[in-house]
Parts: sequence; structure tokens; C-alpha cells
Amino acid sequence: MFSKVISSAVLGVDGTVIGVEADVNDGLPSFTMVGYLSSSVKEAGERVRTALKNSGYHMPPKRITINLSPADMRKDGSGFDLPIAVSILLSLGIMPVFDMEKTLVIGELSLNGEVKPVTGILPMVYHCYNQGISRCIVPKNNINEASLVKNMEVIGVCSLEDAMDIIQGIKKPEVLINKKEFEDTEKNIYNSDFSDIKGQEMLKRGMEIAAAGFHNVLMTGAAGAGKSMLAKCLPSIMPTLSFEESIEVTKIYSISGLLGESTSLIRNRPFRSPHHTISNHALCGGGANPKPGEVSLAHNGVLFLDELPEFNKNVLEVMRQPLEDRKITISRVNASYVFPADFMLVAAMNPCPCGNFPDMKKCTCSPSLVRRYQSRISGPLLDRIDINMEVKPIKYEELFNYSSGEDSKSIRKRVEKAADIQKSRYKEEGIQFNSQLDGSLLKKYIFLDYQVETLLENAFKRMNLSARGTYRILKLARTIADLEGKTEIEKTHIEEAIFYRNSGQYSAKEVF
Amino acid sequence: MKEELLYLWFNNIDDIGNGTRLRLLREFSSVENIYEASEKILRNHLSDIQVKRLIDSKKSSKYSELEQRLLERNINVLYLEKKDYPLKLCNIYNPPTILYVKGRLNKGINSYNMNIAIVGSRKLSIYGKEITGFFSRELSFAGINIISGMAKGVDSMAHKASLEAGGYTVAVLGSGINVPYPLENTELYEEISKNGAVISEYGLDVSPKPGLFPMRNRIISGLSDGVLVVEAQKKSGSLITADCALEQGKQVYAVPGRLKDKNSEGTNNLIKSGAYLVTHPEDIIWDLKGEDNYKDMCFDAINEVDEFEEEENMVNKNFLAPIEKMVYSCLSLEPKYIDDIIQFTGLGVTKTISVLFSMEEKGIIKQPLKGYYIVTV
Repeated sequence: MFSKVISSAVLGVDGTVIGVEADVNDGLPSFTMVGYLSSSVKEAGERVRTALKNSGYHMPPKRITINLSPADMRKDGSGFDLPIAVSILLSLGIMPVFDMEKTLVIGELSLNGEVKPVTGILPMVYHCYNQGISRCIVPKNNINEASLVKNMEVIGVCSLEDAMDIIQGIKKPEVLINKKEFEDTEKNIYNSDFSDIKGQEMLKRGMEIAAAGFHNVLMTGAAGAGKSMLAKCLPSIMPTLSFEESIEVTKIYSISGLLGESTSLIRNRPFRSPHHTISNHALCGGGANPKPGEVSLAHNGVLFLDELPEFNKNVLEVMRQPLEDRKITISRVNASYVFPADFMLVAAMNPCPCGNFPDMKKCTCSPSLVRRYQSRISGPLLDRIDINMEVKPIKYEELFNYSSGEDSKSIRKRVEKAADIQKSRYKEEGIQFNSQLDGSLLKKYIFLDYQVETLLENAFKRMNLSARGTYRILKLARTIADLEGKTEIEKTHIEEAIFYRNSGQYSAKEVF
Repeated sequence: MKEELLYLWFNNIDDIGNGTRLRLLREFSSVENIYEASEKILRNHLSDIQVKRLIDSKKSSKYSELEQRLLERNINVLYLEKKDYPLKLCNIYNPPTILYVKGRLNKGINSYNMNIAIVGSRKLSIYGKEITGFFSRELSFAGINIISGMAKGVDSMAHKASLEAGGYTVAVLGSGINVPYPLENTELYEEISKNGAVISEYGLDVSPKPGLFPMRNRIISGLSDGVLVVEAQKKSGSLITADCALEQGKQVYAVPGRLKDKNSEGTNNLIKSGAYLVTHPEDIIWDLKGEDNYKDMCFDAINEVDEFEEEENMVNKNFLAPIEKMVYSCLSLEPKYIDDIIQFTGLGVTKTISVLFSMEEKGIIKQPLKGYYIVTV
């Protein structure tokens, strides 16, 4: 007898529907699985047989064939155990009370029949719901995640027996349906707050501008000047994630298995700070069955690279494309995967190997060493950074006497206002922030009056700016104007933009 | 043998250094005599190995090749006994018997003008950079030639500022005449040889070695009428130049610095032991030419400088808005970080940046490093 159960797999960041078919026939006893399976899926056969036995089901000595369709797509992961077991039992004559064509079944089995959680639940359930499947049977530990999908009937099971009882209607399931609207509560809890940072007014202002326009940031300064701390505070002033953004982020975390049991939706902006020994694949995503890398995990959030020159040069260069396109495409023989990678790059570096430049009384490095150290960051990468800031360690007196500054909440209010202005301005362009403006859009949205243009022209000549650098200044000035709620870009906005954009890297060369 | 070739031969024998050459010239009275001297006589004056080298080198044909290569590279050669050899060098102890010159030397060095050497630390602070530029520029305006060693730091800055001011500058190398050192100064090397002169007592392709630089310093001070040390650490090579200058009876000028400032320890020590303390380029001109001559000889140049400065002062005093004056008042030649300025003025980030920007545009302040500000001199 033939039976079919719907299951799902993850491709890139999206789910896809997989049909699990079973057929039990007379003939020599055998157990065959087909459908372009990876070894982790092939092993499912052994797990399922043992789990069936230990759950009290008798496997008849018959010819059993399992097919996972579509057959041309490579299947990976352990979520097929439960659907395979269910489909075998159904083909043995068990009658379901559900319409199995409209029920998604996912779960890993252990040998005693227990159902274990799997990764990537959210994208799979989300995709299946959009395909018209309205009910899902998932591991109990994954129900929080699955119930994020609105109007989906979520049934959590903890064992194979449990699942079969529910399918046969012996046991009444606890159905979880998420009907509530996405609540916009102030749920963000960040560990670091801007009020913890003493002094450093210029840096705080720079961070505010960066957060408002999603501009990339580079901080250069001595060790212990507070670069990492500032970076960690950054998510706390960024605009709160919208529901769609939250779903995107949660999907990526779900695939990577980084969602805890209790967490449902990720509401905080991600903050990723990989160590500088990271490899290409870990940063950008990869593997035979590609998994998202740090650039994708930092999607809609902050990717903080501390000690930037210590990173392998290749690793830094692969970031160029995602920085421009805000996504990363990973191609494999059988498929090409696109992972979102719209992150804000925040980098920190020492100005020289000893870390004390430009304090010549303390710095022990020769000028050429300083130059060599700074030139480890390639020009094209620097070009993509809008805000360059020189950090100076604060003095002892400041440490204790400085009144603590504004807290993150009030800064975030300003940032959110600026973000809203940008969002409504660009609603037809499919972008959200000033930093995403490119050539043609720049001309469409940025105007300068005569006086401001003269100022920019003079600065262009005086400071030897490049054309690209000038565009970046314009974008930055637009953000500063938005922060003030001005429709026109004024003189002070350009001045401030030039100050923040103007790269310290180049001026270090000039000193000697 | 042609005379030129004879001198080239004499100055390019292995194992015979400048000191030995000077002694031989004294003892034989001319290069021809040395060339024609028999092995037996030479043995009385030189060690065995030196005699062997000398005899061997007579057979070598590399000297005409050398001449050709020098010609191709536009390098002139000056010999101690020739008439266009710089007079000032003749009077020092151990003058170089040969000088390779790229550029035009005679016009500048043997003219009526005065030469000042500006030397100092290779590791230069921003303050030192500004001061070096200021002195070099102003002295060049006053028609004084700037001599230095084209090393990193003070030397390079002195050359650059002099070139910018349209002055005449001479770089004395501690490496071969066609070997710019440090490598990043290659551009500067070309620039100086076009508008001034690059000289060296070492021939083609001699790579820089630590021992060569102290020797080079005696030429720097020898060519000059006075040596100005801008910034020097306790054991700086520029102090060797100052020593040479004292031995040669030249005045040593030093720019004072703060106590405990590593980069000024050397100059402060110089002042302690009697160097002339200078706070303005005029001090040097005054000291070199005397009060009366100072007015007569440099009248035009100095007047120009004065007018120029008055103009600048007017900008400083009269055309600054009160808010700009406040910001200006907290700046000096010591780089000040923007947060300290913000804290001092209490103006807030945006306003401070705006004020600093407009003053930078007027040219009264500078941002030598991102986020750090100084006043311009």
C-alpha cells in the first residue's frame, strides 16, 4: 500500500516542500531508501526501524520502499526521521484523522522513539504555510519557533508514539495557533548602554549618525580606548527590527541552529564579533551544503571586526561584494544559494603595532612600520567605510568626573525618527537607508543649494577628495540632515560629514 | 691617461679610504705622482694589501665604464684639488677627496648666500614637523640655502619646505649618489636634484650602511655656516652633526622643547652645553650676519616675511568671530584631540566641528592627523 507525508528541507535560507512516500509490498524483505540522499538521511533508515520497534510497532517482513521527492534535489539533515516513520506506518494501514496532504511533519528520532528538535524549523514552516499547508507536527522543543508563523496550527510531539496517537485521533493534541498581531513592545534588552561611556562625545555622535543611516564605521585608536565597548553599545541605539526583519534574522539563526529553545522571535539587532582567525567560509558562509556565515548572521545588525589588520587579507576582501550587494551568493555544483547579508560593518584597529601612534612619546614604531600596518586594510575596503574615527583613550580625571552622557533610549528615539524619514522617502526604491543610495538614486534624492555646493567644491580641491569619497560625504550629510529633521542639506551637515568621512589612514602617511 | 679618469681611478680603489687618500695626496702632492710611483715607493706609504689593490686597479678598465655611467646619469664629479670644489669643504678636517653631484651645486653653494643645515630626529612629532617646516620655509624666503641629509623625519621635512618656498636645498647622502635612501624619498630625491643638488662622497650603487652616515654628517656641517637642530632624542645622529659643526667652528642652533619630552632631550642638552637657543628664524639670520648687516643684507627678504606675518596676524586678531577666537585660544602646536576641544569650549560636537572646519578653510588651523588639531605657524 502507498502513502505520502509532507515534510520540508532548507535550501539556503528558505524552506522547500519534500514529499516522503512509502510503499509496502510483498516480496523479499528489504528496506530501501531513494531520492538523492546524503548520508545523514540514509542513516535515517536504521534509526526509524529501531525507533519503530522500541515504540511497540511491529515491522512486517515485507519489501519497503521509501522515496523522498523531488528526487533531483540533494536532501540533508535529520528532520526526515519522523515523516519516514509516519509514512511507513500509514502504508501499513493506519488511518489518519488529518488530511496528510495538508500536514507538515518534521522531527528527528532517537532509537527509543523520542522526537528530538531540528534546526531550520522557522523557514520550513514559513515556506510550507505559504504553500497552503495549514498544520504542522513538529518536535515539542521547536513549537515556539514554529508558532511564529501566523495562523499555522502547530502540534508539538515528544515521541513517535505520541505522534501516531495524535494522527490516529486517539489523543487530543494541544494545538497552538498564533493569531495575535506582532506586538511592538519595548522588549529589547541590551547589556551595554551608551550612558556607560564617559566622554568621547565625538565618537558617540559618530555612532549615532552611523546607526541612523546604516553607515559602516572604522575606529582607530590605542588599546583600551573603548572601541569595543562603543561597538557593543551600537545595537542599543539602532532602530528596532520590524516584523519582517525579525523573521529574516530568526530564519537565519534557525538554520544555523543558534536559536535557543525558549527564544522565539529575535527582536534584538544581531551583534556578531568573530575572532580574527576566522576563515573565508566561516565569514561568508559555505560548506558542501552551504550554511550562512557571519556576514549573514549579522544581517540587519552589526558585524564587529576587532583588530581589523590582524584578519587574513583574503577574508577581508571577500567581504567587498556583500558590502555592496547586501547579500552573498554561494554557488555549488547542484545549486546556488543566496544568503542575505545586509549588515553594518563596524571595525576597530590599532593605529600601529604598539598601539600608541600618534603619541610619539610613547609610540615605539618607525613611521614606515606605521604605514605598513595601516596599509594592511585595502583601499577598496576603506572606500566602503563612511565614518572614520580616531579614538583617544580618556584621561583619568574624565573617567571619574565626567557626568554620564545620554542613555541609549533617548539616542534611539532620534535615530528612529531619522530612520522613519528615510524609510518613507525611499519606500518606492526598495531601500531603507541613506547608505544604500547608489549613483542614479543619489542624483534623484540629494540636492545642494549653491552655497553648499561651493563649500563642497572648495573642500574637494583642498582635501584632494575622490569622486567616490564625495558621494559618500553626500550620503553621510543626508543622514545628518535627517537626524535634525531638515529637508535641505545645509552647510553644517556637509562640514560634519567631511569630518567623519575624511580618512585618518591617508593623513598618517602625510605626517612623515 | 686622461686627468678625469685619473681622479676617478684614484678615488675608487678598494681598501683605500678617504683618510688614506688625503695622506697620499699630501705625501705625493699630486695624483699623477701616485699613479706613476713604483711599487717599491708605494710600499713605504701603504700596507701590502693596499699596494696590491692599487697596482691591480691600474690594469682594470672599469674606470672608463664608470665615467660613461656617470655621464649617462648626469652626475658631475668634483675633486678636492679642482677649482669648483666647494670652498667651505676645503677648510674642514678630512674633506672628501671626491664629491658626486646630481643637480647644480656651484650656483648655490659657492654663491654669496649663506647655508644653514637643518637636522634632527628621524622620528618626528607633529610639533617638530611644523617647526621644521616653519624654519626651513622662512629661511628659504630670506634667501638662505638649506642643507640636510634627506633622512626620514626632520631632514625630509626641511627639504620639502625649502622646495615649497622656492628655496635652494642640498641633500647630502650617506649612500651612493644614485641610491635614494630611504626608498620612500625617491620622489624627493628627484625633486631636489632638479631644483637643488644631491651630493655624496660615495660613488654609484653604494648601498647605505650604518657606518657611512656619521661620515656624511661632517659634510653637512662643513657645507653650512650654522647647524640648526630641531628635534633630537638623547642619542640622536643629529647630535653628531652638531659635534662636527663645533669641531669645524660653526655655530650650533637649537630649538628648545619641554622637559621630559623625549624628542627634545637632545636639543635641550645642546642648549645646556652652550648652543644658541632660537625661537624664530630671524634669530639665526641675526646671529649669522650681525645686527647691522642683518638689516642691510637681508632687508628685502626679512621685510617680506614681516609683511606676510603681519597680514596673517591681522587675520588672526581681527577677522575671527568670538566663537572662533575661543576655539583658537585652546589650540597650540601640540596636537589637541577634538574631544578635548569640545570639552574645553562646551560647544557640542556639531558646532565645534563646524567652527573647526571654517577655521581650517581659512588656513589658521590644521588637522595634521584625523581628529587632532594644531594652529598653523
